[in-house]
Amino acid sequence: MEKPPRLRDLFRIWAGIGLQSFGGGATTLYLMRCVTVEEQHWLSDEEYSLYWGIVQIAPGINLLGQTVLIGWRVAGALGAIVALIGLLLPSISITILITAGYATIRTQPLVVAALHGIIPATVGVGVVLVIQMLKPPVLASYHEGRWHLGLSLVVLVAAPLLLVLLNLPAIVVLWGAGFCCAAGFWLLHWRGGQQ
Amino acid sequence: MNPWLLFWLLLKAALFSTSGTGNLPILHTDLIALGWATDHNFAEALAIGQISPGPTGLWVISLAYLVDGVRGALLALVAIAIPPFTALGVHALYARYGAHPAVQGFVRGLTLAVASMFLVVIVNIMHQNGIDIRSIAIALGALGLTYTRKIPVPVILVGAAMVGMCLY
Repeated sequence: MEKPPRLRDLFRIWAGIGLQSFGGGATTLYLMRCVTVEEQHWLSDEEYSLYWGIVQIAPGINLLGQTVLIGWRVAGALGAIVALIGLLLPSISITILITAGYATIRTQPLVVAALHGIIPATVGVGVVLVIQMLKPPVLASYHEGRWHLGLSLVVLVAAPLLLVLLNLPAIVVLWGAGFCCAAGFWLLHWRGGQQ
Repeated sequence: MNPWLLFWLLLKAALFSTSGTGNLPILHTDLIALGWATDHNFAEALAIGQISPGPTGLWVISLAYLVDGVRGALLALVAIAIPPFTALGVHALYARYGAHPAVQGFVRGLTLAVASMFLVVIVNIMHQNGIDIRSIAIALGALGLTYTRKIPVPVILVGAAMVGMCLY
């Protein structure tokens, strides 16, 4: 990368990614990689993957975190802000327009019937999403050994039960699960070191 | 409706979660307890989030619009735009502590809990929509088609809408 691109160009590029990525997060991530790594050469493939790992831990929507990191890498604080606005402006506008359009027709019998078909379908899509979210951590735990796997399975079963049966706040359950696994992994690591 | 409270709930949910759908269980508990949103609203917003461009996490913009109109959508926009900047701090910390087993354990626990709690929300949505042979068949069909990755999700949802119009 020779010299930082103009902010106007940055905005145009990020808006393009936001506008073209119909079909959910996977498409956005794919397009973002094509544009930033292959077309613009702003960062290497390794950096792109490293950033993607980091935004898994950072609060907020992963793709927006990725946008901020790449924007910062290219043109500092302003670059991060312009990148985020660029990505969000077109996609948010379209989301609001679709929702507003939907809100005006949501009581029409045909729309109600269509929704009766769409809602179970989103449930089906949601189950696939859950499977995709669970696969990498469960596989990793499996490879780490039976204690890691056992701990992961306990969290997996206990989290929804605590939420439903004890009515605990979702945040408490989430962070409780995080701290349990943090303590467990540390302990297992320490025990492994002792042997 | 108190816009500050709505903004705070949206921001809190985004800050205490690490993905676009991680805020779902938190918002689901908060907004349903207040009576501001229904399971139905969540289902509608999730569907619109799948259809519209950009990250799937933008479903929350749609939810906020359904709850509080344009004002809600704009509040949600600000609420989801702030947390990603913490990635810069995490980036600096990750270089030093990322390999620590406790950090890796924390991330693991969070990921597992989010996914399994997502399932609770899904069951609620399905239950509220009415469980019968038709809805189960549509859900299973969508699940299978999504799993094969041959057909894009928006196309599956449009197909499901047509099936709904014929069946209901």
